[in-house]
Amino acid sequence: MRSGERPNLLELFTPHRTGGDYPGAVMTREEQLKAVGLEAGARVVGIAAVEAFREKVPQGYRPEDILPGARSVVVAGGDGPTAGAWRCPDHRVMEITGYDLRENVAVHAMCDFIEGTLSHHAIQAPSLPVHGHEPPMSMMHAAELAGLGTRSLAAHIILNPEYGLLYYAALITTLPLEPDQPLTEPACPHPGCAAMYKRIGTTPCLRVCPACLGGTVQDGRIQTSTYDREKCHSRAQTYGIGSFQKGLLQIVNEDDPERRRTMIYSDFFTKSIQSLGFFRDSIAQCFECMRVCPVGRKYRKLQ
Amino acid sequence: MAVFKLDPEVYKRYKDEVLKLCNSFQKIDQPGLSDKQIAERLGLDERTVTEIRCVAERDCYSLDEWEKAIEFKRKATLEWSALALKRPDLKPE
Amino acid sequence: MAELPAGSTAKLKSIALKGGATVCGVADAVAFDAHAPEKHRPGDLLPGARSVVVVGGAQPREGDWAATSPWVMQTMGTTERIQGVGRRLAQYIESEFGYYALYVPPGTASGDTPFLSLMLAAQLAGLGSKSLAGPVLNREHGFMYWSAVITTAPFDADSVETSPACPAPACREMWDRERTTPCLATCPGSNGGCLSGKLENGRAVRTFYDAARCNTRVHTHWVGGFQKVLEETLNEPDRDKRKMLLYGDFFTRSLWAITYSSTNIAQCFECMRVCPAAHGLREMR
Repeated sequence: MRSGERPNLLELFTPHRTGGDYPGAVMTREEQLKAVGLEAGARVVGIAAVEAFREKVPQGYRPEDILPGARSVVVAGGDGPTAGAWRCPDHRVMEITGYDLRENVAVHAMCDFIEGTLSHHAIQAPSLPVHGHEPPMSMMHAAELAGLGTRSLAAHIILNPEYGLLYYAALITTLPLEPDQPLTEPACPHPGCAAMYKRIGTTPCLRVCPACLGGTVQDGRIQTSTYDREKCHSRAQTYGIGSFQKGLLQIVNEDDPERRRTMIYSDFFTKSIQSLGFFRDSIAQCFECMRVCPVGRKYRKLQ
Repeated sequence: MAVFKLDPEVYKRYKDEVLKLCNSFQKIDQPGLSDKQIAERLGLDERTVTEIRCVAERDCYSLDEWEKAIEFKRKATLEWSALALKRPDLKPE
Repeated sequence: MAELPAGSTAKLKSIALKGGATVCGVADAVAFDAHAPEKHRPGDLLPGARSVVVVGGAQPREGDWAATSPWVMQTMGTTERIQGVGRRLAQYIESEFGYYALYVPPGTASGDTPFLSLMLAAQLAGLGSKSLAGPVLNREHGFMYWSAVITTAPFDADSVETSPACPAPACREMWDRERTTPCLATCPGSNGGCLSGKLENGRAVRTFYDAARCNTRVHTHWVGGFQKVLEETLNEPDRDKRKMLLYGDFFTRSLWAITYSSTNIAQCFECMRVCPAAHGLREMR
């Protein structure tokens, strides 16, 4: 296929693509859909039924509140920083490295497939915050329900047991699909972390960031876990919308014009404005809890 | 109809409660309440709760916390690099 | 100057569709002169321009129109998918045919004025026609987003549409009955909205469009809102009230829209939501 050429989706599902319990050449609908997502760049794809969201999600934030007749939620997980980026001693590099957001591309590819080939409604689930820090739908919870990961001690980040930290996007569709089940074995704590907790009463993530994280481990499972999201915000989005607002308030409240001038042209405020202009600068700016996390670390060991 | 502006007195009165009930301070497996649910509990309208929450999220910590964040990341990255990359020269002061 | 090999225009269109466009058409660069103001014509941007290649696509899906949450269309904008096609097409024209090609940036030259009207380009390329509500509608696919490439290559120009999608038959019937149409009824200029118009002999004739008001709806949270709140904050003597303004929901959301372009592309679709011609012709389940 040449660069710029749109893949013929039907060609993807030739007889050599067998899968599931179906003998011979036929893929299930779920396998077809996942194949589309994986071809488009997702690392993992999972499916959840909309009913599963009712237990913990308040009304107004459920898939069926967003798309009438919704039956399924398909979740794509995409890679974050490369192995090389994790090794950079300058934290500023990871602050602005951004990602290719491939999980969103995968979601669009799957939406196009569902509407174009299967004639059912499909939308990208709205996941960006619309009121303060609140998104219309939780991608983290969707990933859990789709069997792609479990909550961790580290900011309750959803860890995929194989790959560790992934970024999630989802689609909502009226297409009925056989859902995957939430994982029964949690990815966190890693056996090494459970052993560490037993030995010294902490884990790598809790030790590196006690400001944001708290928790206890018992019998190899998370017993309690707390996460200060607002403090984490000052670290995960040091330069961005929040810092711009904070800086601007100080500036407008400053009566001395000389001091005001130094504040406007300061490195901090300049970086804050820059991260508004280049959104990739502001996606995620702190990785310390994940840097020390052993889940998925094998994929970061290269030459 | 003017732009919705929150009364600072209403904000000061309810901000701590709203922060406590929403998703700002999380406990695993205990989701925070929606703005609508918080409004019902506190006897406010939903729009006011949304506004209180938005301001309180931003107001929760002073700009000093951002400065601490910058220093935290600088040190944490270097400490990890010194250990994992076997580069003691990178260890921060 | 050597002319293009036979079949070049067809080849270009095939590449555009394979690249992700839903439709592709060509307009004669000279055709803009009668409609576009000076400095906003193809030749002003690319001296020697002969054609304007227009691609349309990245339209909201059927599910997007059906969604009941306003945040779906407001924050999950897809227009940039067609911008990428336009940009790649410009590179393709230069590398494949050896002619200059300029991808028209979708932003504004200053204020709200675009470099080149993409809606005009779509009409002149035969890809659609202006509706009573304003957007250019394609007969088969309805509402879509556009991207354009100005080039010195002499591609074969398409003809302007003669049978517009607007007004749809249902709208003509509604006009005969109630002297209004779905879009005019949803956003009436006479009652705080943006649109007024009338049909004559089954054709749409727009008589009023409040662009400034429409801007407050299409770009509720963006540069304009940011400027308004900033002005109000600077004029507010009470420090606590300043905090309420700068940390408030509206300003926070406006900053999100400034940062993440998908959340600022378009934030009001109500005239198109009710339009029977805007959603293409496919049945969904």
